[in-house]
Amino acid sequence: MASYDTLRHVSIGQYVPTGSLVHRLDPRSKLLWLMLGIVALLTARGYWVNIGLLLFILGLVRLARLPLRYVLSSVRPALPIITLLAIMQVLFYAGPPGTVWLDWGLVRISSGGVRLMMVSLLRFVDLLCLTSLLTNTTTSGAITQGIESLLRPLSAVGLPGHQAALIVSIALRFLPILGEQMEAIVQAQHARGALVEHGRWAVVANARRAAQLIVPLLVDAYRRADELVLAMRARCYQGGVGRTYLVQLVFTGRDWLALSAAVALVALTIGLRLLPIP
Amino acid sequence: MAPRDPDAGIRRTITAGLLLAITLLLTLTRIGMIPVPTPAGNATIAHIPAILGGILEGPLVGLIVGLGFGFGSFMGATLPLFKDPLVAVVPRLLIGLVSAWVYIALRKANRRTLTIMIGVLLVLLLAFSYQVGMITLWLGIVVAVVTVGVCVGLLIWLGKEEPGIIALAIAAAAGSLTNTVLVLAMATIRGYFGAEMAWTVGLTHGIPEAIVSAVIVVAVVSAVRQIGSRQRGSRI
Repeated sequence: MASYDTLRHVSIGQYVPTGSLVHRLDPRSKLLWLMLGIVALLTARGYWVNIGLLLFILGLVRLARLPLRYVLSSVRPALPIITLLAIMQVLFYAGPPGTVWLDWGLVRISSGGVRLMMVSLLRFVDLLCLTSLLTNTTTSGAITQGIESLLRPLSAVGLPGHQAALIVSIALRFLPILGEQMEAIVQAQHARGALVEHGRWAVVANARRAAQLIVPLLVDAYRRADELVLAMRARCYQGGVGRTYLVQLVFTGRDWLALSAAVALVALTIGLRLLPIP
Repeated sequence: MAPRDPDAGIRRTITAGLLLAITLLLTLTRIGMIPVPTPAGNATIAHIPAILGGILEGPLVGLIVGLGFGFGSFMGATLPLFKDPLVAVVPRLLIGLVSAWVYIALRKANRRTLTIMIGVLLVLLLAFSYQVGMITLWLGIVVAVVTVGVCVGLLIWLGKEEPGIIALAIAAAAGSLTNTVLVLAMATIRGYFGAEMAWTVGLTHGIPEAIVSAVIVVAVVSAVRQIGSRQRGSRI
């Protein structure tokens, strides 16, 4: 039950105001940073490159003055499963083995398996830090505006850029409202004696509980959509043509600097793939 | 058929937005994750808005909501597996598309066409399980038994239900299986899972998830159609 009480504060990561340099960047450059950072992480290969990336990203977290414990705290509940998966990955690795250290038929410990495990763990921590570098330093309003502004050029080539941006902003706007709605549904069902929490083994009961929750939620969303259409028609909504914005985003020198750093990072990881580094 | 809706464009945009919001809600709060005792940890119902978007609003909305699902599962991931956008995002794009296409194909089908289709499906899946059985015997037997069970169930059900509802259920199940199959295939390609483990997860998750999605989608669509058919403007 306690897990539902915080629903109305739902957001993609909590904003942590420390007023650092990273906080003051344009949301657009942070969004692009996230994308380029992911590309860099996916192209990085081998131990040293991944360790270097980790140190670099930890440096960025420090620059944003975010407490590292806080950034990594979301993993804690999943730690047992992650450990189990990592062990299984090493034991049942099926790719090219490299040096085999131990061989018991089905179970085989090899340098290839250990490397895969290490690299995917490093990458996991990297991505965790990167996503919180965006979400913990940018308010959700700024993220929405950033996405909208990044998608706007799409309308020029005939793609529905404005609609896409509208979809995203409606989604982010309605996230807390639907969260509240879901809380109300849960509490109403609780009051009638339904929805008892079950353990991991009560699969059927858990599935039924989820179904009882999602059906009224979806039906309610459709009702809201009807009302929203009416409200927007009443305000003469015409689509994105000729719309203006109260707050204008401005790209400054430090944004260009951040972006060129990101591009350089991607170029570096691609370049390092060509070198024989372990 | 209802008269053409002048607000169709806005309605589609807004519905997509709300479905996206629900998807994000389900993925980010982890309410849409049903804990189960398997290596993958959780079964999901968070792909259902993507299926609904595809069925009710067309492939494009399904695609956008699917993208949102991928994004949410990437951002809220607590396993290294789903912190890889190639596993978390790319397969999810196809959920809405597949269910939209399956629904479009089956929407007009009558009972006889559906029976023939199930027959063809049964033959194809049995051939497939024979192939699997040649490699791993027990797996082939399990797949064959599941196939026969599902098809017999479908045929019995076909006798009782309207074809429209069955089309919905099949489209939903197809969307859900798209998610399972593609995510596991991607996870195997990227080396997070071995093939055996992927099979186990696929059988233990894919089938229950497909059934749950079929049930929920049918329930929601019939409820939503009722909202639409009601006289607008006089809901006091």
